[in-house]
Amino acid sequence: MTDGRAEAPVAADLSVGDTGPEVVVSDLDRSDFVKYAGASGDFNPIHYNEPLATAAGYESVFAQGMFTAGVAARAVADWFGLANVRSYGVRFQAQVWPGDTVTAVAEVTGVEVGGDVATVEADVLVTNQDGEAVVTGRASAELPADR
Amino acid sequence: MVGTSVVTVEDFAVEAGKVEEFARAVKDDNPAHRDADAAAEQGFDRVPAPLTYERVSSFPRYRTTGGRGIDLGFAQEYTIHGEQAYEYERPLQVGDVLTGTTTLSDVYEREGSRGGTMTFAVLETEYADRDGEVVLTARSTLIETGGAIRPEGDDD
Repeated sequence: MTDGRAEAPVAADLSVGDTGPEVVVSDLDRSDFVKYAGASGDFNPIHYNEPLATAAGYESVFAQGMFTAGVAARAVADWFGLANVRSYGVRFQAQVWPGDTVTAVAEVTGVEVGGDVATVEADVLVTNQDGEAVVTGRASAELPADR
Repeated sequence: MVGTSVVTVEDFAVEAGKVEEFARAVKDDNPAHRDADAAAEQGFDRVPAPLTYERVSSFPRYRTTGGRGIDLGFAQEYTIHGEQAYEYERPLQVGDVLTGTTTLSDVYEREGSRGGTMTFAVLETEYADRDGEVVLTARSTLIETGGAIRPEGDDD
């Protein structure tokens, strides 16, 4: 591929415990939350209005959960191939703050071969710079069983 | 109330400019989200949208109703978005025009670990293309915390 994306793997290449490429987004800025608000339509002011966020008891504004989930989706799409992804789900565990660095990675939890195709299941983990889980999730992809 | 079904999204047109903007916002640098030739190199006949692009359907332009279409009776200030899940038949692609039908698929209560009863509601939205084929199912879990505590998680 000319853009440097690895070709999607086949199930025979994958084993339980394998991890994919890490997606790292460093030093998040309030403007990242504003851009996501505009892109997604999630205009909840808790994500960009500092006085409102602090009055509500938060230390500052914080990221939309789906911003972090959107960043983490790359850990699945870039590894298994966007067209092969059959499911992606997340649970929001902790807030992501301005200045945070988030790292997302997927880990294979199951490979089930059925004829020429296989279903690969994976866990998704997003952590902050302190190693705290901020988003956890699961994904599945349908891949060729072998080359 | 469980089983109630409402058309909540109409004429949700997947547009090239919005796909590129969304990809940039989630820091997805895949050129397939920006350029038809790059998309073709990855096997797509049209530019695909990122996996979480469905959120764009929340813009008023595409909504048939204000709010979520189904009144959960939840207090807004104590309602958080706990989980979000998608099942894909294929990626959304530029040129798709989608209709979303939302069903309240489950409501249940759980005692919070730090006290108070939490009420969970699961809203499932099926998105069908112009041919009537369901291409994407989105499942949102909303939690009303009861107000005693502010659990971790994203405010909806």
